[in-house]
Amino acid sequence: MAQYALVLWAAISLNFLLPHLAPGDPVDVFTGDANALNAEERARLRADYDLDGSLAEQYGRSWARLARGDLGTSVRYSRPVASVLADRLPWTLALVGLATVIAFAIGVAAGASAARRRGRRSDVVAVSGLMALDAMPGFWIGMVLLAVFAVQLGWLPSFGAVPLDAAPPSLAWLSEVGRRLVLPVATLVLATVGSTFLLARAAMVSALEAPYVGLAEAAGLSPRRIVYRHALRNALLPLFTHLTLTLGTLLSGAVVVETVFSYPGLGRVAFEAVQARDYALLQGAFLLVTVTVIAANVVADLAYPWLDPRVRRAPMVKPA
Amino acid sequence: MVRLVKMVRRAARTAAVVSVASALAGAACSPSPSSDDQRPASAPRSVERLTIAVDQDRGPLNVFVDADPRLLELVYDTLLSPSPYVGKGKPWLAEEVRQVDARTWEARVRQGVAWQDGRPFTAGDVAFTFQYFKTAPPVGSWTHHVNDVPTIERAETLDAGTVRLTCAFACPDLGPITLSYLPILPRHLFEGVAKPAELTGLPIGTGPYRLTSYSPTSGYRFTANRAYFAGAPLVGEIVMPIIPDVNATFTALRTGEVDATTRSVPPELVQQFRRQPGLQEVTTTPLKFPELRMNFLRAPFDVPDFRRAVSRAVDRADLLRTVGLGQGRPADKGYPHPGSPWTNPRLSTPTDGREARRILDGLDFTDRDGDGVRERPSGEPLALSIKANGDEPTHVRAAELVAGHLKEVGIAATVQVIDAAALKALATSRDFDLTVSEIGAHGVADPTQFVMSHRSGYLWQAPKVAYPEWDVLFERWKATTTVPERTAVMFEMQELFNRQPTSVPLYYPEEHYAFRPASFSGWAESPGFGIVHKWSFLPREVARRVDALSQEFGPRR
Repeated sequence: MAQYALVLWAAISLNFLLPHLAPGDPVDVFTGDANALNAEERARLRADYDLDGSLAEQYGRSWARLARGDLGTSVRYSRPVASVLADRLPWTLALVGLATVIAFAIGVAAGASAARRRGRRSDVVAVSGLMALDAMPGFWIGMVLLAVFAVQLGWLPSFGAVPLDAAPPSLAWLSEVGRRLVLPVATLVLATVGSTFLLARAAMVSALEAPYVGLAEAAGLSPRRIVYRHALRNALLPLFTHLTLTLGTLLSGAVVVETVFSYPGLGRVAFEAVQARDYALLQGAFLLVTVTVIAANVVADLAYPWLDPRVRRAPMVKPA
Repeated sequence: MVRLVKMVRRAARTAAVVSVASALAGAACSPSPSSDDQRPASAPRSVERLTIAVDQDRGPLNVFVDADPRLLELVYDTLLSPSPYVGKGKPWLAEEVRQVDARTWEARVRQGVAWQDGRPFTAGDVAFTFQYFKTAPPVGSWTHHVNDVPTIERAETLDAGTVRLTCAFACPDLGPITLSYLPILPRHLFEGVAKPAELTGLPIGTGPYRLTSYSPTSGYRFTANRAYFAGAPLVGEIVMPIIPDVNATFTALRTGEVDATTRSVPPELVQQFRRQPGLQEVTTTPLKFPELRMNFLRAPFDVPDFRRAVSRAVDRADLLRTVGLGQGRPADKGYPHPGSPWTNPRLSTPTDGREARRILDGLDFTDRDGDGVRERPSGEPLALSIKANGDEPTHVRAAELVAGHLKEVGIAATVQVIDAAALKALATSRDFDLTVSEIGAHGVADPTQFVMSHRSGYLWQAPKVAYPEWDVLFERWKATTTVPERTAVMFEMQELFNRQPTSVPLYYPEEHYAFRPASFSGWAESPGFGIVHKWSFLPREVARRVDALSQEFGPRR
């Protein structure tokens, strides 16, 4: 745990330093193009947003705030950062969560199936198709889906997460939220399923070449049972690692899709915070991502022994 | 981080053009998916509901945060109307205003007006507003209108219906500028609030619409104030979803999910939107332009004649043709915008390469080694950089063209692309030679901002940086007691500025808006505001009475 604490400290410090080192300043952005404020008024604004003092002083104050559970105030929104993030986080979780589950399920199932049919035409088609899909940028996939399903066919809404009209938690609200999730989720699934598929296929190919598979065949087990009951369980280990490692990055990685669909998620707000040099909001968003990545790693570390009995087995020979 | 932003914005921008173009092309080739794509015989002037996309979340329209003036003026009113960009303010929340003497104004406020929460509007609210802006934390474009140019010393009520405003120096333009610009705030909600920027409640004004719902994830809902003193609005409810992405905005307009947008149509899509069934495209004259700014604190831009040489070298017709796609006017009338009633109509800033070369020769910037680049008197080559926002392709292209124009007269210039926030930070760091950016109506059509820009560091840094000619004019400007006198000195200031400019307008662009005429046909242009503003939603006779409209758009024929 000490290692994780060190990682967290380093990440929070970098989250503080990097935005401050980038050229630009929130007060410059806030005061607009005409630069209508004089130096005294600008200094007053800096003090109001806790941006005065040296970098070291600001760094110290940011830790003091964090210790109180206060993420600071967003310059762009003039609201507590925690409140801005709380508005957006559920939408990103819904978007990324659904997309991850669906992409993982499809990728693993298709990968296992392709490995079983390794070298056959269906395998070649699946590998070629999914590799091509994997090479397509997410925004482009989103644009195509928009042009077809929103513009030409008019089946689905083209933007946003929820209309102003629908009030939660009615059925109409749920239905609208669902409809507006379809295209962004489909985009994320199509953009990410390829890598899961390729990893699942490779892991399954290795698993199917293991000696225990030959033994299972000799024992007369059905091919389906060998693949899904025995080989897949072993192949899932690298896939689980892949899943936990990508969870954190997916939180911020949805920024392109959120931009294309004007979806009000965390990636979008982080993107806007970068544009506005809204240090407090940026640090809050990055902190959330950092904590998610570290938490995902902790989960992976804790879950591994449970998933793989070999890891939790005590060493046979104690070191001298 | 900055690279990520650039990557996302570039990708989205490219995709925007490709996608909207392909969607439009597809639509042109296929049957229209919805019946409302057919233009109606007569379009409605009064409707129950209108959906208008806004381009960004501006929070719950807090005056003390960077709120969009087009949305703010739906909720708040000013003493005079329509805006400083029209020239002469007409009675609005004030039934009458009069300049008592050089430094004093009195306003008789309208009786029988109520705040949207039912409390009566009084002269006390007006006096409070001016006093509050004086002491409240500074914000964007409002503060200087009470604290600097002009400086309002005192705001007091004379009786239940009259307010007196006293300035520190003569303020003949207080009426047409400040009183036509500053939103009047409800005293009962702001009194005692030390940090108004942190207010998160929905605003209460006297305006034609009340903001009845706001969500950062879905947008704004405005409900008509049926008891509005100027007349009931034509649209019962205005719903404004937040669509930050340009592609998503125009896709939503195309699919009919929104009826209009606060965003103007990108020049490259104008022709396609003109042919789009179910949509109407109109052309407006915005009070804004892209500009080439010079760092007057850094040599050689600290030499007035050098700045004039740069201005003469810029080929304005080329910029309009190549970057503005011919949609606009060449910027040969200088700074500020010639469309402002406060701009000297005699200003002239022609392109003249020969004159530029002559000036540079006279300053001893000559090409001594014959490499095509002049050397400074010290012997160093005259090599400059032009910084532009990489998220704005037209600005980058303009910077490249300007670099070419400068090369023609022997100045080497290289273009450096940076992101928007880094560009804005240059205002403080002053680490630049030249920048290409854009300035809006408040900067180029409000004469008091022209003066303020000379004090804030935007156009100059008076009085910190010596500028004797300006100082003389500024003192004369302060001493004037009538609008004609002040305007005459302002014209001289503008002539001085354009003789040795620190900002060169590159071209005066047109703007294009698209909307669904089947949904609403009351759209009109108000100077500096495009088509989405309160005057489009008020009865025509009300808007005409205060000269709020520069163009009215009926259904196309």
